[in-house]
Amino acid sequence: MANVNTIKQPNQETSTTKSRLSWLWSEYSVIIAFLVIFIAAALMNPRFLDINNQLNILMQVSIIGIVALGMTVVMLSGGIDLSVGSVLVFVGVISVLAMNATGSIFVAILTALVVGSFAGFLNGLMVAKGRIASFIATLGMMAAARSIALYIAEGGSISGEVSGFTVIANSNLWIFDFPVIIFFVMTALVYILMHKTRFGRYVYALGSNEKAALLSGIRVDRVKIGIYSLVGLLVSVAAIIETSRLNSISSSSSGVQYELDAIAAVIIGGTRMTGGRGKIMGTFFGVLILGILNNMMNLMNVSPHLQGFVKGLIIIIAVVFQKRE
Amino acid sequence: MTTSPFLTMNNIEKAFNGVPVLKKVSLTVAEGEIHALLGENGAGKSTLMNILGGVHQPDHGSIQINGQDVKMSNPRVSQEQGVSFIHQELNVVADLRVYENMFLGSELRSKLGFLKVEEMCRQTNEILAKLGVDINPKEYVRNLETSYKQLIEISKALLHKSKLIIMDEPTTSLAEHEVKRLFELMRNLKKSGVSIIYISHKLKEIKEICDTYTVLRDGELVGTGSIENENLDTITKLMVGKSISQERLVDKHSFGPVVLEVNDLNSQGLYKNITFTLRKGEILGFTGLAGDGRTELFESLFGYRKKFTGQIKINNQLVKIDHPRKALEAGLALVPKDRKENAIIKDLSVIHNMSLSSIGHFEKAGFIQEKKEKDRFHYYKEKLNIKVHNPRITIDKLSGGNQQKVIIAKWLEVDTDIIIFDNPTQGIDVGAKHEIYQQILSLAEQGKAVIILSSEAPEVQKVCHHIYCMYQGEITARLKGEQATEDEIMSYATGSKREAENIG
Repeated sequence: MANVNTIKQPNQETSTTKSRLSWLWSEYSVIIAFLVIFIAAALMNPRFLDINNQLNILMQVSIIGIVALGMTVVMLSGGIDLSVGSVLVFVGVISVLAMNATGSIFVAILTALVVGSFAGFLNGLMVAKGRIASFIATLGMMAAARSIALYIAEGGSISGEVSGFTVIANSNLWIFDFPVIIFFVMTALVYILMHKTRFGRYVYALGSNEKAALLSGIRVDRVKIGIYSLVGLLVSVAAIIETSRLNSISSSSSGVQYELDAIAAVIIGGTRMTGGRGKIMGTFFGVLILGILNNMMNLMNVSPHLQGFVKGLIIIIAVVFQKRE
Repeated sequence: MTTSPFLTMNNIEKAFNGVPVLKKVSLTVAEGEIHALLGENGAGKSTLMNILGGVHQPDHGSIQINGQDVKMSNPRVSQEQGVSFIHQELNVVADLRVYENMFLGSELRSKLGFLKVEEMCRQTNEILAKLGVDINPKEYVRNLETSYKQLIEISKALLHKSKLIIMDEPTTSLAEHEVKRLFELMRNLKKSGVSIIYISHKLKEIKEICDTYTVLRDGELVGTGSIENENLDTITKLMVGKSISQERLVDKHSFGPVVLEVNDLNSQGLYKNITFTLRKGEILGFTGLAGDGRTELFESLFGYRKKFTGQIKINNQLVKIDHPRKALEAGLALVPKDRKENAIIKDLSVIHNMSLSSIGHFEKAGFIQEKKEKDRFHYYKEKLNIKVHNPRITIDKLSGGNQQKVIIAKWLEVDTDIIIFDNPTQGIDVGAKHEIYQQILSLAEQGKAVIILSSEAPEVQKVCHHIYCMYQGEITARLKGEQATEDEIMSYATGSKREAENIG
């Protein structure tokens, strides 16, 4: 036995250096991609590097970024949440109504957080207890939430009537806008949640092998409900920013296709569609990559009608590269 | 009758990750011969057959069919050479019809590209008639008995004009009358000049149906010849080698109080009237053939299945377990079978797999202490002799034996009074197997109560104080470990014998 070990040792070492390299690639491929795109953008247009432009990019991605954090968690568990955009509008409409009725910003925020998490909770209930595929359950929620928002706002916009609400999204600390700071803080919190707590561990476990997770004594149903509620909570944070930014929310045009942008960011960030593998930091850079692409296309006067094409291409390229490993 | 050999495999060698699995193994099968391939689990039978089937490539050695060298570079080539492999898990699509399964991948089409359904049905009927069975080709496979599913695979092989059919433990999931049907079929095939390689653990069956045999042990050829001239004991000795597996590892010691009491457990279609008790320090074995309901029984105990009636008492307290978490809290652990599907989380690291069921032990103010986790893992690494270089790699990189040890460590960390092992040595090499037995024994000595589920009679004979035999969902016998013989166990497990009195 000892003999076999000594013979195998050198063999193992070369294979570990090799595996280290491939590990480096698989762990940091999204950062490498980010750097490549960043440098390319800087070379193509000198205005790109302008600090105001940089901060502008961050500001633009912050809402989708917060939604994408939640999407990462749900996708790590092997599910998906298509309802994020609709729930965002729904939360926005309800919280503005609550604010206008009470005159309190605090009530608006509280309402948003409660309504958002409750919508998520319902999604979780359907997926975990109703055993409905997440795609279907959240597709239903997507249609329903948007419809109620449209009905309440009679298809139009609702504006806030309390001064001071706009402060949330339109102030800054040093050079950073509040939404950007909120995005960073949320990223850090979700990162800690996923990597330092048992909740995160359970999400990875059930995304990788749900049956084994259950047989390990994990309350899979509760974890799932928690996941969807968390997404709802993050969506309501995004909804508060979105509403506060213009002091109004449009029931028909706000939050449209947010689910697709969020999913795109998660996929570019290297999270596996079937769950179990992926990183919060990957999504963070995925969001930045999408932001840079949008910004570059605007700077270069690419027709807005063509921007979707480029985005689609990037997503597919990202997935092809991930398949390689 | 036996003419020139149809198949010869010469000095086949194969290693996986530097571990030799086959060492200069040769095999000869004549036309129209039924050849038994024997050996314990992990002896290299499957690898040898996978090489013949084109799934793996040999490192050295050659294969000849009808005296001509062939290279089985992929399964298709092998099929074209007339070799068909009927796996233990049947590869039939339950939601397709019989004829659709038969022609799967080689459908007959008209010039316009439409399927020629009637022609396919006609050919299916022809082959089925040849085999002497009467099934409607348009029947859905999901409505058929298991033995008929096997038949479809055999028919498929005949459809492809196979000259050699490999059957990997075909009788494990068959009832007795179905086995008879299969054997008749095999005799018919033999008459028509088809050769069969028959892999099985059941020596009696082999004596009944096979002409010649080859025995592998730890990847080496240890014996080959004609069945007629051998008696079963010599063959058994060849398989087992230094008769390690005959040796009983467990010795008598006194048991503590009853920790688990199961009273009249019933579940529609899975098991019925299950009653038994388990004492502290005792190792109980449950054995039987596939479909005996033992896995389902213990999945119910563990809270994975919820539809059952009956009473379960743990430490004299009536418990209601409807979720694995509750089983854990009640003091029940389950090391499930089919490690890959049921036990390992392949995207989590080795350490994280170990701590998964007892994360509470490593938490401080809600945060997981990675350092503490790592230290604990090192404790188990020493204790269970887990061979892993860097425990941060994902668990799927480990060998089967080491994976199993990590799973055992996971449940030791939970520290329950009762541990159930379902097929604990599935797909594990001989050395690791022995270590796992030792662990199980030392658990019992420490006062844990252990239950082992296994389809291998020698396994339960080796390590259990008492053995329960199950047949089609019922306990047919309770035997004393030191007295039970393999024959006796098998006759209860196959339902040909049952204890007269009620077992309580």
